[in-house]
Amino acid sequence: MACKILTLVEHESGAIRDTTFELLGLAHRLAGEAGWSASDIKALAIGQDLAGPASSVAARGAAEVICAEGEAVRDYTCDGHARVLESVIGAESPEIVLIGHTPNGWDCAPVVAAGLGVPIATECSNVAFENGRPLFTRKAFNGKFIQVVDLGDARPKVATVQRGASPAFGGGTPGTVRVVPAGVAAGELRAAFAGVKKGETGAVDLTQASVIVSGGRGVGAAEKFGVVRELAAALGGQIGASRPVTDMGWLPHEHQVGSSGVTVNPKLYIACGISGAIQHIVGMKGSGYIVAINKDPDAPIFGVADVGVVGDLFEIVPALTRAVKEAKGQT
Amino acid sequence: MNALVLIKQVPNTDSPFRINSAGTWVEEGNLTYGLNDYDRYALEELLRLKDAGTITELVALTVGPERASSALRTCLATGADRAVHIKDDALAAADPLSVARAIVAAVKDGGFSLILAGLQADDDNYMQIGPFVARLLGRPCATAVMRLELRDGATVRVERELENNRLQIVDLRLPAVITVQTGINEPRYASLKGIMAAKKKEIRTLTLSDLKLDAGAIAAASARFRTVRLAPPPKAKGAEMLSGPADQVAKELVRRIREKTGVI
Repeated sequence: MACKILTLVEHESGAIRDTTFELLGLAHRLAGEAGWSASDIKALAIGQDLAGPASSVAARGAAEVICAEGEAVRDYTCDGHARVLESVIGAESPEIVLIGHTPNGWDCAPVVAAGLGVPIATECSNVAFENGRPLFTRKAFNGKFIQVVDLGDARPKVATVQRGASPAFGGGTPGTVRVVPAGVAAGELRAAFAGVKKGETGAVDLTQASVIVSGGRGVGAAEKFGVVRELAAALGGQIGASRPVTDMGWLPHEHQVGSSGVTVNPKLYIACGISGAIQHIVGMKGSGYIVAINKDPDAPIFGVADVGVVGDLFEIVPALTRAVKEAKGQT
Repeated sequence: MNALVLIKQVPNTDSPFRINSAGTWVEEGNLTYGLNDYDRYALEELLRLKDAGTITELVALTVGPERASSALRTCLATGADRAVHIKDDALAAADPLSVARAIVAAVKDGGFSLILAGLQADDDNYMQIGPFVARLLGRPCATAVMRLELRDGATVRVERELENNRLQIVDLRLPAVITVQTGINEPRYASLKGIMAAKKKEIRTLTLSDLKLDAGAIAAASARFRTVRLAPPPKAKGAEMLSGPADQVAKELVRRIREKTGVI
């Protein structure tokens, strides 16, 4: 009972999420780089009644899926998940543990690492062997820089991995499923699941918009949003925002585009004064055509935009509004 | 009950960031610093409980060099009662787990029912210290919390932010460790009176020897978390950049938008 790479199955009441297969894709590439066998890749699923869904994971990348089952871990709690992870990692002694950088993954993974007394590389965009050592690449300073981390002789080396960091495993595997008791009783947990609810929603539905003009921190203040509104109006579009804007109350939460807001895919997305934190980018990168206007030439938003302008949004956005009106014959 | 807020002083996001000569972190000389934005929300959440009379004593703690004491002063000026500054040269390049161990050594007998921190620091974006401290103290933990409610003396109900505008509701048994997401509240600013009062409040400084921690062990742990390099992000496909007078650039944008999207 040992493996080289252990990945955590991300699921919601048994529905397996894509992250699971991306982690397995990454695991297979790493095993190839390290010269490990595909049979050294295992996956851990924590919950209840998982044997059915787990078979799809065994067929698509995991040599063995360990299903740690129990009523006490039916729903996610950090305490429950972390206890199971620590004990399974102890039994399997993998070299590398890969967990999705999702709200549940980032919640329990550092707890597990601290319990095992090992470091963790969080929010990795890549893991790859270099000169025989696995190196963990992640963003630091909100995406201004990438940081490459070497976890030394830590065993295991634990990482949370961003969604989309690796293609999903594409092949088929003759994996097996092994159901084991989670070994956790509800009474010993200090956290109790009490439900999932929708966040606040309003009248604005950005998911249906064909044009979105978004403002970010660079707009500077609630009362300065006029230029963004006017451009949106000229284009017949909706107004979006990055997280700082809704946090500071410049616009209601329903305007927020990104991982904690909505995911949008308009034909046209114009980002004004948005630097492009990864949390924002995941929510808008599927847009048909992306225009970015920012004063910082190194802003990550220019990495996903189709066309960019470096400069003062208070000059460029009103000029664009005028040009749009002119093109539409409204002036 | 007593509460602790874990804070960090970080470079202001509009500082001029340059990679250091070793290529392993940023050049610190030309940065300006302030209280980590996420931590302001954690502090505010506890100040509200203090205003309501639920929390008796609120302590702010940081690990950092001398300059970090000004971030503690900010906490004291907005209403924290006292502060603890863990300061030791041996911690300057410490890994996150060693930082958490130092915090735990300082607070283990503190009797804090609630320990709050920001979800992450704006510089390293690690998201580790809160959960690390929770596990090392043997306490339950929840991250990215958007709502926090003390149910009775024994439980705190929190709402954790999930994806797609959903929240998970969890009850944590006290004592507990919670990291908060920005937007959970509206952080207050210090009043002049608060700033004056802060000057009389205590900042206790602790070194590794005060905490009975060994610099050698920290160096060994830090070798397991080494930044090999820090670099500008690769330009993905990258935008085609336009430049020129605003009106000219605007016309060019309209032409492209019309051609590529047909929305004009």
